[in-house]
Amino acid sequence: MLRTRQNHHRGTARQSYQLLVFFVGGRRLAVKAVDVSGISQWAEPIPVAGRTPFITSVVRQGKTVLPVFDLAASLRLTVQGSSPLCLRVKHSLGEMAMCIDEEIPVLHTLDPATLQTYHGKDLPSDGSYTNGLDEIPILSVSQLGSTE
Amino acid sequence: MRLVTENEENGLGLGVREPMTRIVSPASPSRFLILLLGGRYLALDAESIQGALTIKVVGSLDAPTIHGRVYRAINLADRLRISNNQGTANSRIVLLSERGVQGSIRVTSVQGWLELHPTQVLPLPPHFRGPERRWYRGMILFEKSIALVLNTSWVLDEQVTSIEDSGGQEGIPRLVVAPKMSVNNSQAC
Repeated sequence: MLRTRQNHHRGTARQSYQLLVFFVGGRRLAVKAVDVSGISQWAEPIPVAGRTPFITSVVRQGKTVLPVFDLAASLRLTVQGSSPLCLRVKHSLGEMAMCIDEEIPVLHTLDPATLQTYHGKDLPSDGSYTNGLDEIPILSVSQLGSTE
Repeated sequence: MRLVTENEENGLGLGVREPMTRIVSPASPSRFLILLLGGRYLALDAESIQGALTIKVVGSLDAPTIHGRVYRAINLADRLRISNNQGTANSRIVLLSERGVQGSIRVTSVQGWLELHPTQVLPLPPHFRGPERRWYRGMILFEKSIALVLNTSWVLDEQVTSIEDSGGQEGIPRLVVAPKMSVNNSQAC
């Protein structure tokens, strides 16, 4: 389900690390590949009444129940496509699921030298990198759900 | 009518209002009544269930009185802040009693009993960190979905709404203890 983007940083391969680039509401975001535990088709979420911001449902995958972080809602976006994907990430409290656009995520190798600070306040980040004119924030999985 | 859970091979018997005289031990299975409310499955520990009646049988929805005992009406959908179109033919009034406190909730339908080993009640993921941690005792895999196990103490707590609305998240259940009376209600759903 992943496409691998050509590595343009062969000389720094030992220092570089992998990102998974995905889309939410047409917006390009990235997450460290080591923080990703899987990608699958999105299943209908099961609502859980509560007051935790952006965590208001779970998805069931067999006998596993994963809390859903509504990343699109937190960014005030709407997931695009009729066949959205489920991005499972490794959170310190346990795996979480996020609904992302149906566009197939891409692996991207990042040279740490190109890592920059993300100044946006709309999501927790581990920095960002630039792709053309776009600044791609790297989602900080560990901080998801820790702020309101 | 039987319900089958995917957690376990155990089936279940259905029939509201059976004597709750089991001996509780860590290995004892627990029985839950599975409800549907606003399109969501909820579960209640059988220990707290006094009956599940049709609206017609109950008569007064505000304070159903069964065998002389008043079961104060609790708007569970409102407490959970979920929308619920309650007016269906399958609607039931579930009578609850715990530690001398009685209450009744109106649900869309009663699905039946489910018997589970305690280990099959999954904890609510720790990512949920709001007051809902008090609302639920855990989750049960049910059909292709889940049923959230309600904390009966919270459901019956009269003061919880004002506490939570005022922003308190760590409120302790404050049940008003009254002398416990036995109810021999033979009416079943």
